[in-house]
Amino acid sequence: MAEVAASGERVRVTVPEQDVRSPYRRLSHLFDPGSFSPYQVSPGSRVVTGHGLIDGEVTVAFCTDATRMGGALGAEGAAEIVGAIDEALRLGRPVVGLWHSGGASLGEGVQSLDGIGRIFAAMIHASGRIPQISVVLGPAAGGAAYGPALTDVVILAPSGRVFVTGPDVVRSVTGEQIDMAGLGGADAHGRRSGVVHVVADSEGDALARARRITTLLAGGGARPDAGRLAAHDPDEDRRPDPGSLLPDRPRRAYDVRPLVLRLLDEGRHPFEEFQARWAPNAVVGLGRLYGRPVGVIANNPIRKGGCLDSLSAEKISRFVRMCDSFGLPLVVVVDVPGYLPGVQQEWEGVVRRGAKLLYAFAEATVPRVTLVTRKSFGGAYIAMNSRSLGATAVLAWPEAQVAVMGAEAAVGILHRRPLAAASDDERPALLNRLVEEHTRTAGGIDRGLALGVIDAVIDPADSRRRIAEALATAPARRGSHGNIPL
Amino acid sequence: MAEEVRAEMVANVWKVVVGVGDSVSAGDALVILDSMKMEIPVISEDGGTVARIAVQEGDVVQDGDLIAVVEPVAG
Repeated sequence: MAEVAASGERVRVTVPEQDVRSPYRRLSHLFDPGSFSPYQVSPGSRVVTGHGLIDGEVTVAFCTDATRMGGALGAEGAAEIVGAIDEALRLGRPVVGLWHSGGASLGEGVQSLDGIGRIFAAMIHASGRIPQISVVLGPAAGGAAYGPALTDVVILAPSGRVFVTGPDVVRSVTGEQIDMAGLGGADAHGRRSGVVHVVADSEGDALARARRITTLLAGGGARPDAGRLAAHDPDEDRRPDPGSLLPDRPRRAYDVRPLVLRLLDEGRHPFEEFQARWAPNAVVGLGRLYGRPVGVIANNPIRKGGCLDSLSAEKISRFVRMCDSFGLPLVVVVDVPGYLPGVQQEWEGVVRRGAKLLYAFAEATVPRVTLVTRKSFGGAYIAMNSRSLGATAVLAWPEAQVAVMGAEAAVGILHRRPLAAASDDERPALLNRLVEEHTRTAGGIDRGLALGVIDAVIDPADSRRRIAEALATAPARRGSHGNIPL
Repeated sequence: MAEEVRAEMVANVWKVVVGVGDSVSAGDALVILDSMKMEIPVISEDGGTVARIAVQEGDVVQDGDLIAVVEPVAG
């Protein structure tokens, strides 16, 4: 079977006779067993829409019908999708789109382009009001590529391919030789482009992740029982001290993800990480804290030393704005040596993209708590949800440093002349003395506490409780803005 | 396809921790860089056998420079 992408290219979409790709089958796998109830759709639309339950909660969904003309979208099908999105908006419930489509139906010409444009407009209208989750199960070409990209979360199944123009057009225009998987598969979008948030292991895994993420995104704003927070958490004693998850040597890099897991509730799927392999020096994802869904943001020192850079700033910005849209509180785990220096960074717009991060945090109205585990320096200190940007609370572990830069580097600049004048024998002792003095007056936690930019120094073992308490003190709010795909 | 492990940032090569022929798992450190006052391990994402180490201790690497090549284990 062949169909035609918006670019005019023929994208082959093969569908086996035994329909694992039947939209009814796919939608019934998305929902709780037996809960899918299809809406009336016109027979020629090549789209199935309806609602059902995900973990007992009503959710709207649509699926392009890959068994007919490769799921090519015409005006009728597009109108059905718009109808499903509008219905979800009316119900105030999430909408999940299952995509397997070669794009606009060529036979309908500009009418199908108009229809696809209307889908985009409906998605943008709903953006930030209701969670929109896309699962790409097969090729999503041309117009079908931008549909998922406008939603909050894009999940890619192993057969999923996302591209604007397919391999044939790429070859004829640029001479580049590449297949569909290379152009728009898991490596392309999971690691290089950042288009895809979640790369799934199978179609079943993709639908399971869509269910979990839908539940987390739709659970924002639910306030925990205050009494429950104060109660002793028996599991806490069994789990290792979070402080023990940092390396002994303060200069040593480490993977922050075990620490993120330690701060979240345990469970079979405790953390749904987004864009794990793209801009991996920042970790973002959803989990639960005392049962309440939260968004977590963490610097990851094992990649680029945990430095912020242009891509990680953009990654965090979009995540913050998504969580703010849906009322999900934020937990920001900070261990950042600064912004990554370099010509390439400056030229690719680290200032422009870093500005998005400042904007996203300062704009966010959800409760947002910062935990500084080890260090927070310079412009990156400000950007990582500092007090100045309106953090609900800033907590720090006892050994943490907060400063314009590391004390040793600062002393090297401030006391360059006396250090240069000292003899080689005297220099280390002088350096040590100056570092101590500098830490006391400018860089230490005590100074941060005195200024009020840090609210409390906490025992790492109390981290979960202290973060949860701080989140609970703030009113449950959500931002009133869309989630533009920054 | 062989995994080409490249530097993610400008750094000094502080330690080379594996040798050619060593087998490594996904997430294992191949080399430790020193940059931004941090010791930053360069890790193999896929694991396999180290086919080549392209740097020596003390080298300065730029963003994108080849650090090592790891061949996947057959099968």
